[in-house]
Amino acid sequence: MEKFKSIIRDYPFIAFIIAFVILAFVPSVVFTDVYQSHLATLIFVNIVVAAGLNIVKGYCGQVTVGHVGLFAVGSYTAGTLFLYLGLGFWATLPIAIIVTAFFGVAMGIPSFRLEGPYLALATLGGGEAIRLFIENGNFFRSTFGISDIPTPSLMGYNFDSPDRYYFISMTIMIIAVYFSFSILRSGVGRAFMSIREDPICAAAAGINVKKYKILAFILSAMFAGAAGAVYAHMPPGYIHPNNYTVIEMVTFLAMVVLGGLGHIWGGIIGAIVITIVYDLTRPLYKYQLLIFGLTIVLTILFMPKGLGGFIDRYFLEKRFKKKTGTEKTT
Amino acid sequence: MILKTKQLSKSFGGLKAINKVDFELPKNEIRGIIGPNGSGKSTFFNLVSGIYDSDPGSYIEFDGHDITFTPPHEIASYGLSRTFQLLRLYQDMTVIDNVMSGYHTRVPYKFFDAVIGRKKIWDQERAIKEEMMELLSFVGLADYAELNASELSGGQRRLLVLARAIAMKPKLLMLDEPAAGLSPVNVDNLMKIIMQLKEKYGLTLIIIEHILKVVMDTCNSVTVFDHGQKIAEGTPAQVKDDNAVIEAYLGKKMDDEEMRKALAV
Repeated sequence: MEKFKSIIRDYPFIAFIIAFVILAFVPSVVFTDVYQSHLATLIFVNIVVAAGLNIVKGYCGQVTVGHVGLFAVGSYTAGTLFLYLGLGFWATLPIAIIVTAFFGVAMGIPSFRLEGPYLALATLGGGEAIRLFIENGNFFRSTFGISDIPTPSLMGYNFDSPDRYYFISMTIMIIAVYFSFSILRSGVGRAFMSIREDPICAAAAGINVKKYKILAFILSAMFAGAAGAVYAHMPPGYIHPNNYTVIEMVTFLAMVVLGGLGHIWGGIIGAIVITIVYDLTRPLYKYQLLIFGLTIVLTILFMPKGLGGFIDRYFLEKRFKKKTGTEKTT
Repeated sequence: MILKTKQLSKSFGGLKAINKVDFELPKNEIRGIIGPNGSGKSTFFNLVSGIYDSDPGSYIEFDGHDITFTPPHEIASYGLSRTFQLLRLYQDMTVIDNVMSGYHTRVPYKFFDAVIGRKKIWDQERAIKEEMMELLSFVGLADYAELNASELSGGQRRLLVLARAIAMKPKLLMLDEPAAGLSPVNVDNLMKIIMQLKEKYGLTLIIIEHILKVVMDTCNSVTVFDHGQKIAEGTPAQVKDDNAVIEAYLGKKMDDEEMRKALAV
């Protein structure tokens, strides 16, 4: 067991390969109908977006409310590339990631000067501008949406139904989460956190604040772009501007906040919980927004570090007690 | 000379916070900076470390580099480290992460290695963590490594800030009131740790401090600021007897004629 642990510590990607294998058996063993595969794909897409949002908001502390706009850029890059050039998933995915990265730079530039709620307002404007631009542009098929975006195929095998597409979204999710883990556990993650806590002190400690801020925006934009492309190609392959409103943004925020801002698992836990709750409460759709708003407020009030921080705390206190033999006072 | 300023000035609107200060600091010296509140001591630190831009005409040189208009992170990479009067602790990070973030300028690997997550990265990260744990146990915080910085007591916070500033292995360490708010016993303990760290890492130190006993006991030389100007410089004994210094701290001694005038008004 000790040996296994040290191997995982040195080569973390092995853990992700194990996770891949386990998740690969889930549809055939656990799922009872196709809808559950569809739901799983949605969870994976949300995990990728939330993991990206956790980098910029949870770790780097830049309050962005325009992230859904970047998600839309990813989707519509994939959609329009298919519409006008007939490109398939394997071409649109990397292009969507790159294009979204550039939009991430644009979204990040205000963060040099603005902070907190002011930055939130600026990025909210950015996100909404992207959506309105799509909605009113004939180039993007405005409110008709882009339909019949094809599912990917690999070596003659077409991932054309939800239970097959599951494997595509799952693979992308595993890769994205792996990247987010290795970035955030390294010195880069620490630099992000110091900028969140105190940019002036971070600068005095040798961290290039502007560079790392824009890096956080680019990274999280790339995650959103990948998620957007996966979402666009998901069967039945239909995207519409209404899927990228502020309401979706609140849902993404609720995921990151509930999972734990600045916790390495934060976005992932939150995305799983919120997506499932969202699906179960569909009959109560009138109250869904109320529920998510309440979730954000209550989590911040009573569990400021989210579910992830809550679980961490429990184990930490146990360890601390064992080490020093004292109850912690605070 | 490790640090040299010429005609260093900074004004906020009409107020000259620092007015034409020439300052020189040889290597391995412990320099104390004293002066009444608002005399420009902290502003001087902020100018040297690049937090503020100095006024045109100023010149700052650190270890052979002209750093007059260099951004703070570059100055730090030349080996200048500082602490803040208000600590600026990373409250929501663990103690060990606080110290490790001070290591930033010495992190050996490149960004793309970190993205891919190669084995080399985790080896180096572990080495960094080990080194920083050693530093933490040196200042006596090893047991608290995994707690949030916000959970430490005031004295422990002072030690943590000191450890974080040392983590980058600076050539020059600037301490802004390291002992503010500590009890006499803790002050002695802190100064002992600072002296040990100086020996261990071969530091040059600048210390702003209001506790004069600390300054007089530990510093090789003292610079006195008042109203943004350097009013005296020399060994602690010289400075103690300087008329300008006594005037700045205690006020002017009046003769009988002046006293009569003052009372007549």
